Amino acid sequence: MKKKRIFLILILLVAVGSFMVYNYMYQDHRDIKSETPQLEITAPYLLERFKTNDGTGLLNKTITVTGTITGMEEGAITLDESVYASFSGKSSGLKVNDKIAIKGRCIGYDELFEIVKLDQCTVIK
Amino acid sequence: MKTIITLSIICLAFMATAFGQEKYTTKTGEITFEASVPSFEEVKAKNTNVSAVLEAETGNFAALALMKGFRFKVALMEEHFNENYIESSKYPKATFKGKITDFNFSGLSGEKAFVIKGTFNLHGTDKTMEVPATISKRNGEVWVTAQFVLRPEEFNIKIPSIVSKKIADEVNVSAVFKLQ
Repeated sequence: MKKKRIFLILILLVAVGSFMVYNYMYQDHRDIKSETPQLEITAPYLLERFKTNDGTGLLNKTITVTGTITGMEEGAITLDESVYASFSGKSSGLKVNDKIAIKGRCIGYDELFEIVKLDQCTVIK
Repeated sequence: MKTIITLSIICLAFMATAFGQEKYTTKTGEITFEASVPSFEEVKAKNTNVSAVLEAETGNFAALALMKGFRFKVALMEEHFNENYIESSKYPKATFKGKITDFNFSGLSGEKAFVIKGTFNLHGTDKTMEVPATISKRNGEVWVTAQFVLRPEEFNIKIPSIVSKKIADEVNVSAVFKLQ
C-alpha cells in the first residue's frame, strides 16, 4: 500500500516536472500588441536619441511613436523620414500625411538609411 | 548664346553626376540563416527588414541587418540567440560593405553570377570575405541573391559545449534583396 502511494507521487512529480520544462522550452513569443508601451516619443526625437548614442536602452522595448506618415510600403510605413515601422498584420486605410501613433518593438538604428526601425507594430490612432 | 551653352553644359554635368550615383535600395531585404543539426530541433531564423544599397555605376554594395529583427520559431531560442550568442544589446547590427567585382550595370540582362568582395561585421568582429551572388535586372528592379556559410567561431561567438551538439558549426546564410 505504502509502495503504491510513493509510486503515484513519483509519477505525479515527473508529470508536473515535464510540463514545466515543456512550458519553459516552448514559451510563447512576446505579444507586443498587448504589452504596455514603456515610452511615448515623437519619431524625429527617437531618431535623435539614436544618433546621439542615447538609444541603446530602448532596444527590444515596446514603445509608442507618434508622427506623420512620409512613406508607405507593403506592410510598413515611414514616419517623418526618421522611423521605419513594419506591421505584424495588414495595415489598411493609412495614407501619406496622416498623423498617426503606432506601438511596436524598437529593434535598432539603421545607419545606411539613418532611420530607426520598429517591428511588430500596430496602429493605436 | 554663350550663357545658354554654359547653362546646358552645367545641366549636362549635373545629369551625369546624378546618373553616376544611381542607387538601388531596399529596407525589406530578407536574410535567413540555419544552423540545424539532424534529429535535433530546427535552428533557423529569418529577418525580413534588412536594408541594402547598391550603387549601379561603381558596383558598391552595402547591407545592414538589425540582430533583434531575426525571428525564430521558438521564443526561448530567440532569447538565447540575442542574449547569449550574438549579444544583440552590445552589438545590435551586422553589416556587409563591399564591391561587386567586374560589375557592369548597363550590360546586365538576365541572371548573372558575380563575386562581391567585402567586409562582414558581426558581433563586433570584422571579416573579409568573397561572397558569390546572383544579380539580375527585372522591370527596373535589381535582384541580388546570395548563399554562403559563416562560422560562429570566426566572429568570436562562443557556443557552450552543452548545446554545441544541437547547433551546427557551419551556419548557412541566404539573402534575397529586391532593390528599387
